[in-house]
Amino acid sequence: MKWKAVIFLSLLLNMTLSGWAQAGELAYTVRATELKARPFSDAATLGRLMQRTKVEVVARRSSWMQVQVDGKTGWVKMLSLKFNQASNKAGSSGLATLFNVASSGGSSRSATTGVRGLSEKDLKNTKPNPKAFAAMQTYAVNKSEAKQFASAGKLNSQSLGYLAEPASGGAR
Amino acid sequence: MKAKIILLALTLVSTGCANQNFDMDNLNLDKVVATAGKVYKGSAHITEAQEISMGEGIASNLLGAAPLLNNKPVQQYVNQVGRWLSVQTERPDLPWHFAVLGDEDVNAFAAPGGYIFITKGLLIRMKSEAELAGVLAHEIAHVLKRHHVEAIRKSARTTLITDLAEESLQQSGVGSALTNLIGVGTELYARGLDKNDEYEADRMGVVIAARAGYDPYGLPAVLLTLQGMNPAHSSLALMFKTHPALSDRLDLLDRTMSGALDRFEMQPDLSPRFTSVMNNAGSDN
Repeated sequence: MKWKAVIFLSLLLNMTLSGWAQAGELAYTVRATELKARPFSDAATLGRLMQRTKVEVVARRSSWMQVQVDGKTGWVKMLSLKFNQASNKAGSSGLATLFNVASSGGSSRSATTGVRGLSEKDLKNTKPNPKAFAAMQTYAVNKSEAKQFASAGKLNSQSLGYLAEPASGGAR
Repeated sequence: MKAKIILLALTLVSTGCANQNFDMDNLNLDKVVATAGKVYKGSAHITEAQEISMGEGIASNLLGAAPLLNNKPVQQYVNQVGRWLSVQTERPDLPWHFAVLGDEDVNAFAAPGGYIFITKGLLIRMKSEAELAGVLAHEIAHVLKRHHVEAIRKSARTTLITDLAEESLQQSGVGSALTNLIGVGTELYARGLDKNDEYEADRMGVVIAARAGYDPYGLPAVLLTLQGMNPAHSSLALMFKTHPALSDRLDLLDRTMSGALDRFEMQPDLSPRFTSVMNNAGSDN
């Protein structure tokens, strides 16, 4: 019984931190920001992080990232962070290895070329592939299947309009 | 009769270049009148049926440039997420299709009429269903706003568009004007859309994801992940060439979303379902 609880807890932990490499990904703050006890604006403030403070990202919850910094764990706004380029290797989600094995039989091109991806030249010299197009059609999902899929995930439709462009116009 | 002759004259003027060998003896006035009406319309608008035909051709071409990932569970999963998102939009009844390209590049594409592609290279960098939804919703927005159709219309010769209208009258499958426009359309993926189309698709994408019940921050989370990759990596080259800078997109999303989507922050990101599909991707190949 105890073992079951341990397994359950570790599964739960894995789910909560799903996708994040166990050691965390290295990031830094791009602006001064508050470290919050919980992922809400009105949560207690644990401290203030200066711009370019190094943090380790543990998890994400919507617009908040859970980070470890100076022995403290707290939450900062996701968009106040930038990942270190070196730390974020391909497939850092941990899915890559399995998925690569799974798909290597799929097509000769992706299996043999590995690193090289779709290039501008590929697009300019391409020819129709009716066989693959027909295969693509077989995966189509109809509206009622989509609704079933949504309710299995407890996704509820919401009603909201599109957002206006920010007042100051284009990118800064 | 007078009206017909005026229309005939107009038609000859507007289609003159394309029809230099017009056979006056076999002229069917009624058909010409009908064509004149359609030509006028055609120059102003590409119909939804034409948009879909164009999209089919472009999708087939994209599949000629990169292989379709041979993995049924993953393909079906991506279609389920995408189709659910499409139901939340203003064009729920387009022939929406979603596909994963078995390619290491990091990219996603939308073809007119509802054909959406995402590369394996992008998919494996995601961490949740909400992130997948955010990217698919961005692509869906391009289709909703006919961004590619308009870009094709702008870069194609005017006569191609008028020829397309004539072809659709003859109803003989894929004509040469359509084939040409599909070619123009395919090359567009090497050049990219206007950056304002991309910003608009970002703004709409986060709303479509929220409407579908997802955590709306999936799209910015993916962009942040890509920002953390080595920018010199070849798998990013095409995406970087064809899209505005990630920092600009994130900055605009930050300013657009903050405050406006707070009440949807508690919506699920379904990372367990995403992880489970990806981890079991090899079991039923």
